[in-house]
Amino acid sequence: MFRVWAFARHSPFCSRRSVHQSLRANAATESSTSAVTKWTPASIRTGVIARKRGMTAMWDEHGARFPVTVLQLENCQVTANITTLRKDNSEYHAVQVAASDRPPKTTTNQMLGHFKKAGVSPKRIVKEFSVTADAHVPVVGTTLSAAHFVPGQFVDVVANSIGKGFQGVMKRWNFKGLRASHGVSVSHRSAGATGAHQDPGRIWPGKKMAGRMGGKRITSQNLHVVRIDNTLDLVFVRGCVPGYDDAHVLIRDAKKKMVALAQHNQAKGLYEKVLPKGVLDLPFPAGTEELSKTLPPVILAPSRRTTSPFIPRE
Amino acid sequence: MYFLTLPTKKRIQGMSTAIAAQRVRVKKPSYPCISCCSEPLTIMFARSSFRIALDAWRIVSRQSITTSSRIYPYSRVAIIPSAPPGSPPASLRRGKGLMAYLQQTLPSTEKQKIISTIFSRTHPDRVRPGTVLTVNLTHAPTSFSGVLISVRRRGPDTSFVLRNVVQRTGVEMQFFVNSPHVKEILVVSRAGGLDRKKRKGLKKAKLFYLRDSPEKMTAMSAGVR
Repeated sequence: MFRVWAFARHSPFCSRRSVHQSLRANAATESSTSAVTKWTPASIRTGVIARKRGMTAMWDEHGARFPVTVLQLENCQVTANITTLRKDNSEYHAVQVAASDRPPKTTTNQMLGHFKKAGVSPKRIVKEFSVTADAHVPVVGTTLSAAHFVPGQFVDVVANSIGKGFQGVMKRWNFKGLRASHGVSVSHRSAGATGAHQDPGRIWPGKKMAGRMGGKRITSQNLHVVRIDNTLDLVFVRGCVPGYDDAHVLIRDAKKKMVALAQHNQAKGLYEKVLPKGVLDLPFPAGTEELSKTLPPVILAPSRRTTSPFIPRE
Repeated sequence: MYFLTLPTKKRIQGMSTAIAAQRVRVKKPSYPCISCCSEPLTIMFARSSFRIALDAWRIVSRQSITTSSRIYPYSRVAIIPSAPPGSPPASLRRGKGLMAYLQQTLPSTEKQKIISTIFSRTHPDRVRPGTVLTVNLTHAPTSFSGVLISVRRRGPDTSFVLRNVVQRTGVEMQFFVNSPHVKEILVVSRAGGLDRKKRKGLKKAKLFYLRDSPEKMTAMSAGVR
């Protein structure tokens, strides 16, 4: 059999994807001083993997109630720093993170080897977060904590939505259905017509129809972090998050309200608006377990409202 | 144990009474020594003067604290409340019983007592639907009385609905127990009174049928202002 890969030419960048790279080893060769990296508006930090534990309600200082989702980091550790060269010679940097310990008995040998190389216990979920080159976590195996997020900042939470099974068009696409009476026969919840006539004489691809609903990757954007608990690694975000309780979720800095705003305001010279109000800095490259031990056990964000909704305005 | 106070030089006028009332003993936390610093780093607030004290704290923190000497260097306006004493069990870190633990610890101790006694499912002093309660609020209407027609038990999010007929208009109000606006909840008259026989009629958890029967409503809320 003609095996094409046996004849592949190896370019100078033959190991294009370098995993398990400990930047400290590289940094030692590059520079003798170990500089403490700081967050810059051009940096994109890693995210974390957490578990959605449930929802509850909190009251701000004006007495207004708001819903919160409780997310818990379950032994979230960095398993690799990835640096890859794309075909157009641009660099792709990522931090690979794993969470939720699992018994070695149920882990495949391939993954056991991967975790052993990273020096962490076997995990259930392994995900990658694309970062800028300065945001690599120097030591592979670092445990990330809730201190990675600052109360007052915004985050995007990514999770698989609850599966609803095969659903009709009314639930899946918010179709109005047909009348309940006045002669409608046997099609009260149906879609009705699906196209025009001879022109185009077919159904457009992507026509909204009944089918499987839910169970997809969904991102809830720009959720306000209201509280972090360093003893239990809890992150309270305002609003709801996709998925069922105890599902794995990915939390990262909001692309629209944090990353993009920081870059644009820095470029415009509006340095006060680079970070949300009151937020001075972000733990960089990541908020670790060691950092969380030095911080207060519970930290709250003040309300984003300036005036009380209970006092009538003139 | 140590007191957290303001430095006398930067004491803001009008705030001293509020802060003096709220000086609280706190356990020394495990993070770097705060007693060494002369700056005020955290202040514990009572709900009523929370806003005044919060603004003052913000002013103080901007004036006197540099980034390096803050307790929490990442936010200028973060609030640092007192944590519950003792370290939580290891199973909570894996999520076992976490929401139940939060149900106990998120509300303040006074509110937690109300939730676990008056609005409990099994406590002997619990309040049954049909009881007449009076709620004192910080905003208008400052006081509302009515028949308890439903209790929605969700831990910190527990709420109840009171129904009354005010000026020939049926009025229902839903109150959240944990809300800072709810000052007091007083029991005016227990459901069915002390007579056990009278309690037989009230077997439901939700008394929404009172919306359609004014005669039963007047029977229950007789004499309620």
